[in-house]
Amino acid sequence: MSAVLDVVLSSAFLAAVLRVSTPYLLAAFGGLVAERAGVSNIALEGQMLSAACTGALVAGYSGSVARGALCGVGVATLLGLLLAALRLELGADVIIAGIGLNLLASGGTAYAVFTLLDDKGGTSGLKSGSLPAVPLPGIESIPVLGDALSGQNLVTWLALLTAPVIAWLFYRARFGFHLRAVGEMPDAAASVGIPVRRVQYTGLALSGALAGLAGVFLSMGYVSFFVRDMTAGRGFIALAAVFLGGLRPWGVFLAALGFGTAEALAVQLGTLDVPPQLVSTIPYAMTLVALAVYAWRRTRQTGGEVAAAA
Amino acid sequence: MTGTLIETEDRREYKATRRRDLAVDLSMALATILAALAIGFVVMLVTGNDPVEAYGAMLTGPLERSFRVGRWLEDATTLTLLGLSVAIPFRARQISLGAESQLYAGALAAAAVAIFLPLPPVVAVVVPLVASAVAGAGMGLIPGSMKARLGANEIVATLMLNAIVVRVYDYLVNGPLKEPGSSAVHSKSIQQDSALTPLRDWFGIPLGRANVGLLLMVLTAVALWLLITRTPLGYRIRMTGSNPEFAEYGGIRVPRVIEWSFVIGGAVAGLAGAHLVQGVYGRLEPGLAGSLAFEGIVVALLARNNPLVVVVAGLFYSYLRAGGDIMEQQTDVGTEIVVVIQAVIVLLVTAQALPDLLKRRLARKQVAAR
Repeated sequence: MSAVLDVVLSSAFLAAVLRVSTPYLLAAFGGLVAERAGVSNIALEGQMLSAACTGALVAGYSGSVARGALCGVGVATLLGLLLAALRLELGADVIIAGIGLNLLASGGTAYAVFTLLDDKGGTSGLKSGSLPAVPLPGIESIPVLGDALSGQNLVTWLALLTAPVIAWLFYRARFGFHLRAVGEMPDAAASVGIPVRRVQYTGLALSGALAGLAGVFLSMGYVSFFVRDMTAGRGFIALAAVFLGGLRPWGVFLAALGFGTAEALAVQLGTLDVPPQLVSTIPYAMTLVALAVYAWRRTRQTGGEVAAAA
Repeated sequence: MTGTLIETEDRREYKATRRRDLAVDLSMALATILAALAIGFVVMLVTGNDPVEAYGAMLTGPLERSFRVGRWLEDATTLTLLGLSVAIPFRARQISLGAESQLYAGALAAAAVAIFLPLPPVVAVVVPLVASAVAGAGMGLIPGSMKARLGANEIVATLMLNAIVVRVYDYLVNGPLKEPGSSAVHSKSIQQDSALTPLRDWFGIPLGRANVGLLLMVLTAVALWLLITRTPLGYRIRMTGSNPEFAEYGGIRVPRVIEWSFVIGGAVAGLAGAHLVQGVYGRLEPGLAGSLAFEGIVVALLARNNPLVVVVAGLFYSYLRAGGDIMEQQTDVGTEIVVVIQAVIVLLVTAQALPDLLKRRLARKQVAAR
């Protein structure tokens, strides 16, 4: 047990938590924005994957990391807009359309990498570099925390910043009010002159961009190359964090951080005599229980009405 | 007597409508597939490959040798079972994405019985199959009751269960169930008597790992079709899917129907796991199912959740998968183009307003021509 505590309390572990949590945080906020706009974004996974692949490929061929990152985020944004268009213009089921986009991303990225590089696994043969780490002046002098925070990637800082920004957007900005109104009751929102479609398109674009940033981090920060299907279900976990966090910015922040912590813990405990696979199930089991409790409380509040029809 | 006359006329009209609907459904499916293949054609052309050669290899390859046919049929069996497993909850308008967890639970249960429990012949095949169906059904019951009784979001619940079960499976295959003394990660082989008979024993030609699971799959599909179209439970499932409030008003206990749809779907996905263990691999392997569980959803969608059509869609889809692999060996085109084609099919199928949009445009053109 003390060995576990030693691991958990080290600054290296805190640094790992921040690094591992970064994609979860960004993708979860992407999911939150979409969910609040009334369009579930199941395609987070595919958006991350496309961004990761595009980022690594563009950076590798152009030699510019910044251009790669921008293109990656751009592609994910376009996928967000495509999801919105499928839903709003073509009446698609948003869940199934999301599954389709995930498939498209999985097949498309693997096909692109194989066609360009003749490599089944990923872009490890292509030198694409990674986004810079940002040292904050003075922060290294803080004990424990300083070591954890110094040298974190630019995107990690952005991910941590996203929480207050989204909270501000939701509760202080006009766009956030519109977004929440549209998600809550589109007809009512339309009746007071809110441009429902434009708000939903913007929301889905923002959602895609955030997921894209998460993807770019995976291939240009976490590691410096693209690996086939490297998102490995992170988009779905992020989606769970959205619900676990009760659709609120700070709740989602904590949930995503929790998933990141559990994963970092699972990696660290792999060196000890605890099966890492079992440790890593904890957050999912917690989500499942939380989901049940949350739903149970809601049914109680609505006077035992059967919510199955919903 | 006039009553019966009207009745016969009504019936004739009803049958004509049914026929017309079926024709429309079939031609829509065909048009969707052709459109997706056309998009694949363009993608290959743009990426500098030769699409004619590639499609040639993809579409004729799987039939060229008997063991390739076997590969196709073996893959189709698993995929169709998975498609059937989601088609049932989809019929009740429940988005169950839990086929993965149900498959792994079924595979574990089948393997546990088939490896460790000595049983007489025949029984040794049946008991693991039953065990897998029960395990899969249990894994379906969890999100099913959470949705039915608490109103918990079934998408998140099934995704979480997937994540949990996949990790537990991974742990078991790497740990307690790993064959001792083996350097590769897999379980012990199942007992001889528990194996599903390979088809080559019947036909005397090499058919790879294709086995009697194929028959089992067809029987399951027919049984599910009968269930959906000919039984009270099937009626309740369809009613719940088309209008839950009306179903409730009509005296159907919607929560129970939802639970049943998950349980039945889970049992079928469990069977898919048993097929992989008893028919294909003969043991537990890491990452047994690959991405099959999600592709089962595509099959169900393409078949519009009609169990009999799911078989056709499953066979078609596996054919593309098998063809894709052969295409990659014979040409330089990556097999992943198949996934892209599949994705396009999904997106076209779900874009429901697309046919209406096309029709309206055509009508407008006709008006303009006059």
